[in-house]
Amino acid sequence: MLKVALAGQPNCGKSTIFNMLSGVNQHVANYPGVTVDKKSATLKFQGEHIEIVDLPGTYSFSTYSLEEMVAKTFLLDEGTDVIVNVVDASSLRRNLYLTFQLLELGKPMVMLLNMMDIAERRELEIDIDKLSKMLNIPIIETVGTKRGGKKKEILEAISQAGKVTIAEPFKIDYMEFENFIAKIEEMISYESTISKRWLAIKALEADKVILEKVNISKDTIKDITSNIHAKYDLDVDQTFARVRYDSADVVYHKCVKEKNQDLDTLTAKVDRIILNKWLAFPVLGLIIYLIYQLSIVWGYELTNYTWPLLATLKNWAITVLPPPELNNVPMITDFGIWMINSAIALLNYVPIFFILFALIAILEDVGYMPRMAFILDRVFRKFGLHGQSTLPLVLGGAFVGGCAVPGIMATKGIADDRARLATILTVPYMNCLAKVPFYTLLLGAFFKEDMGLMMFFISTVTLFIALIVARLTTSTVLQNRETAPFIMELPTYHLPTFSGVILRATQRVWLYIKKVMTIVLAVAVVLFVLLQFPGVSAEKNIEFSQQMDKALVQFDKKVQKSKYYEHIDEASEVSALINLYDSYKSQRMLAGSKAAVASLDAAFLAKSPELFPLVRPQDKDAKKVGKAARKLSKANKKLQIAIKNEKITNSFLGMFGRALEPLTQYAGFDWRINVAFLSSFAARESAVATLGSIYEKGKSHLSPEESLAQDGAYTPVHAASMLLFMILTPPCIATMVVVKLQSNSYRWMLFAIFFPTSLGVILSLSFFSMALQFNWSGIELMRNFYLSAATLTLILSLFKTKQSGWQVGKSQ
Amino acid sequence: MTQSVDPSVYLSDLQKNQKGIIRQCSATGMLKQKLLSMGFIPGAEIIVLRNAPLRDPIEIGIHDCLVSIRRSEAALLKVEMSC
Ligand SMILES: Nc1nc2c(ncn2[C@@H]2O[C@H](COP(=O)(O)OP(=O)(O)O)[C@@H](O)[C@H]2O)c(=O)[nH]1
Ligand SMILES: [Mg+2]
Repeated sequence: MLKVALAGQPNCGKSTIFNMLSGVNQHVANYPGVTVDKKSATLKFQGEHIEIVDLPGTYSFSTYSLEEMVAKTFLLDEGTDVIVNVVDASSLRRNLYLTFQLLELGKPMVMLLNMMDIAERRELEIDIDKLSKMLNIPIIETVGTKRGGKKKEILEAISQAGKVTIAEPFKIDYMEFENFIAKIEEMISYESTISKRWLAIKALEADKVILEKVNISKDTIKDITSNIHAKYDLDVDQTFARVRYDSADVVYHKCVKEKNQDLDTLTAKVDRIILNKWLAFPVLGLIIYLIYQLSIVWGYELTNYTWPLLATLKNWAITVLPPPELNNVPMITDFGIWMINSAIALLNYVPIFFILFALIAILEDVGYMPRMAFILDRVFRKFGLHGQSTLPLVLGGAFVGGCAVPGIMATKGIADDRARLATILTVPYMNCLAKVPFYTLLLGAFFKEDMGLMMFFISTVTLFIALIVARLTTSTVLQNRETAPFIMELPTYHLPTFSGVILRATQRVWLYIKKVMTIVLAVAVVLFVLLQFPGVSAEKNIEFSQQMDKALVQFDKKVQKSKYYEHIDEASEVSALINLYDSYKSQRMLAGSKAAVASLDAAFLAKSPELFPLVRPQDKDAKKVGKAARKLSKANKKLQIAIKNEKITNSFLGMFGRALEPLTQYAGFDWRINVAFLSSFAARESAVATLGSIYEKGKSHLSPEESLAQDGAYTPVHAASMLLFMILTPPCIATMVVVKLQSNSYRWMLFAIFFPTSLGVILSLSFFSMALQFNWSGIELMRNFYLSAATLTLILSLFKTKQSGWQVGKSQ
Repeated sequence: MTQSVDPSVYLSDLQKNQKGIIRQCSATGMLKQKLLSMGFIPGAEIIVLRNAPLRDPIEIGIHDCLVSIRRSEAALLKVEMSC
């Protein structure tokens, strides 16, 4: 098999070329030990298997950034047969800098001169033949974004190159250094497919990775470099860079004619607006608003259409699971429904995620991301974050609601390791979309008058908290993480390709489903067990059965005289009728049109010809039975809720919630609230669901808000304390999984769970106690919390950070 | 345009649209490597294109490329101004 590595500088169109060559049959994984995407594909060309790997973009091989380490290690270890160097023709000179270093590796190489359309627009005339002769490699001109492309020609060249053995690798004359390079070459006994000269050059540059490989000590090199310094007054790194740039300049001038000296490119024109002193922020605001509107708002509306699909799935599951016999719901059915509910709660967000990921891909490809960082760097830097933290924070929910999952996934591009981790740890504080129902529930119950003001507090205080946490973590636990210099190319604007964007969005959604779903389901199992066992006591069970019997007797009395009685005079028949009634009702809700209802009716009638006429009664007698059935179904539901309540009360989670009560009571939480918060860990939605079901008490004429408000156990101060905790509450499991994925460490994941939880407990405890002490109302509590957060943020921003400049972190 | 004879200014001192030639870089370690790989070598021509809306960082044109760099980092590069 021929192993091919695609290498090139960032934004030269590598991935586009990779997509063109591989189509959809790509394999996405991580490079060992790091969170850099490794995309590879295997294809067959003229009977030969070719494996292509898309290396991360690098400017050179000497900065030890994650991307460069990955690319370097890969080229050194993986036995690459052919290097395909993708080059941005519109900035050929700078690209040649990397090309030289790749050539020095001494491997067969093919150059793809990409972005030829832009080079043409800028009226650059490139003499390909001459360039090819000077570098002694085949060169193909490409336009990555054009469909069809030159796939065959490229593969042909690759397979040809694979047959070549390089006798004399490409050489740059490093003048004064040549003696030293030769000397080091002699010292190297390491055998590999890599040219010795390249290893020697890298060793002279004191490259840690290479020195280890060729077994030369740092001190040996230090001696040589200080020797050079004394003899020629030359700095080794600078000289290497200068010679390479000078050589690139020579090649460039020999091969390229700039017909149009005018540098006013399209990019410059666009930047004059996008980076304009006055317009930059409005434009940024508009873009963020659009992302928000398109993904969160419209995406949410889209879920109205995808929800029925998921509901159908659930209904289908209910039909295959063993049916309940009135109040006796088989455990397996309970379990099945619980799992399906957990799964669809997450799947429900797929449309939102897809749109979000697609929009991010567009912004990345266009080249706006680095510009966003350029605009906002100064603000975020104060808090240890990076200009590139903007998008993750926005996605996490800078407005009314977002989602931490795509937010954290968008931290990938942040070059500065400390800022990246700090962003990963702060995004979960933003306003999660799934917290909104919880807020509205509590606000509806306790702050009806001041809902707007409270919502304003909640949705803006999160940003303050995020900034404070970022500042705290970067100056403590993250203090020693490596930071990167903020030297960032602002790339030429490029139009993204439709297929590239869709492909990337799909890959990310798929990753989400694969990684997150499995873990969420595993935790759902645990939660189920914790909520189900040890279960309802025997006496209580008898009590429930008696209640059911009473309802059954009543039902029986009502339908005795009907002509249908023979169909429903046995308990199993009644149970079947109630199940039929319930399942018809839930499916009927999904049937929109008249025709759909008719066909649903027909299907039900065919399945249960005797009972269905009672569910959908036509004559008077049947109507009477139908009415009684409805009543019985209601009574049954009420009873099931009571049983569920009893179960939760007795469950392990319930015990845990009660065990926490001695502490949490000072924050105003009783055990029921504790249980709701505990279960919200699986998915935020379940906080509302659990709270709802605990308080439902079967008073169905009351909305959850009303039954909460009338429960009497809580005051608005309690509610404010709960809101405060919810604002800070630990991220859901899905978020935890991506924190683990992106930080590549369980330690950070655990930190991301326990830090906010402790913060939440401490703050709600103190604010609740203060509220009691000073007689604050719920709103006052929230307001004071808000003002404290805002003040602290302001104070922190005035303090100069140590890290305002660039500093060397702990070396690896 | 301003014609300056003082050779010892730093990149961070340059105003918008001022050009210069890099003479010396006092950065070390990873920052130095990063600067070199982006083309900040002695002799390289640079032009300050604009300040960020909040004045920091700044955008530099170098080797036909656009690069953003913080003022604190630009202060490590000595340049000779040309017009
Ligand atoms: N005009 C033009 N745009 C291109 C060409 N090749 C790629 N692009 C665009 O350049 C941007 C960056 O490409 P990408 O493949 O992500 O670059 P990478 O960073 O090297 O992987 C995308 O928006 C592409 O659609 C090309 O030949 N011409
Ligand atoms: Mg790429």
